[in-house]
Amino acid sequence: MSEQQDTALSQGLAACHLCCKLAPLDQHHCPRCGSAMHARKAGSLQRTVALLITACILYIPANTLPIMLTDQLGKTEPSTIMGGVILLIKLGSVPVALVIFIFSVLVPSGKLMAMFYLVWSVHSGSNASPRQRSLMYRMTEFIGKWSMVDVFVVAILVALVHLGGLLVIRPGIAALAFAGVVIVTMVAAESFDSRLMWDAMEEDDDNSST
Amino acid sequence: MSGEIACHGCDLLVDVSALSDGATADCPRCGGFLTRFRTDAYERVLASALGAIICLLLANSFPFLSFAASGLESVMTLRSTPMSLWEHGMPEVALLVAAFIIYIPAAVLVLLVLLAVPLNKKVHRWWLKPVAHLLFELQNWAMVEVFIIGVIVSLVKIAAMATVVLGISFWAYAAFSILFTYAVISLDRYQCWKLIEELEAA
Repeated sequence: MSEQQDTALSQGLAACHLCCKLAPLDQHHCPRCGSAMHARKAGSLQRTVALLITACILYIPANTLPIMLTDQLGKTEPSTIMGGVILLIKLGSVPVALVIFIFSVLVPSGKLMAMFYLVWSVHSGSNASPRQRSLMYRMTEFIGKWSMVDVFVVAILVALVHLGGLLVIRPGIAALAFAGVVIVTMVAAESFDSRLMWDAMEEDDDNSST
Repeated sequence: MSGEIACHGCDLLVDVSALSDGATADCPRCGGFLTRFRTDAYERVLASALGAIICLLLANSFPFLSFAASGLESVMTLRSTPMSLWEHGMPEVALLVAAFIIYIPAAVLVLLVLLAVPLNKKVHRWWLKPVAHLLFELQNWAMVEVFIIGVIVSLVKIAAMATVVLGISFWAYAAFSILFTYAVISLDRYQCWKLIEELEAA
């Protein structure tokens, strides 16, 4: 019914991930830029799942341990990510609290869930609209580095607020865990191969036509 | 085969040999971006990369933010941001922050200039391939625009506590983030490698 669409793989070609060069499948290195070549990313699902689990484990200390310590007049007050959001709501800055909540809580956890769903959908051979899943993948890929905002906020406040004994802000260990979550999730998104979603659909087409 | 590109998102082969100047090609199947052809692409890259380098140098030379409460004042500069994390016993985060906001963006800009100068003149140079290789590996790890949002969030967070003054470096870095992003998106991966290959063959 649908028009025949050729993929690189069906034509016996693989595309270089770095320079887009098309080369025959038997080439192990890109003839143009020398990068390793694979028709599909090697061990994509296993790698992505392993990295996602790592990110989930790091996510626990990132949220339960203090990300920032405020020393004010000899008193130390630790604050976690959610603690900061609640404090801002109490102080009446709901819009800022909302921004921080979206970037530091919703985006990282939503991204992990979206990636788990995508891996599961490929693994189970789901035929839910691959176009929509591709869009979902592109969004998680794009949004990846934006979660780093929290780590930068800690760095900025630590560098900015050091008023002797009056007021000092120090970084908490959760900043390290949170940076880990962001980097590991970025690598996880990178190791997922969205072409696998489309391969499953082509196999369906082949089966129904024969 | 030479005019075709395989979509990174779904592997569909698309003929992109007949793109007119300024036209963008998206994948007809998954909707992902494929390539954009511009005859003056390398002029754009060069101009914005050089502008960004100047802004980054400015951002490195002046106070970024200053903070005053009860007669005491403290100042933050671009370089003191990762340095104070180091001093507080978090060298790993300090190195990551320094790399994401200063060193990787600076390296990307130098690589962009090394690439855009010969490509703009349509001459082959031996360093084109290694430079392009490194550039496309590195560019996803620059977090310039994220840092600017971080500064704005920090400002709002502490505006209630004390007076915060924006320094020259803040404006320089804001301009840097715009020019940097423009320089990076102006360099098209497919077109750039295709041109390098053509120049090498010529």
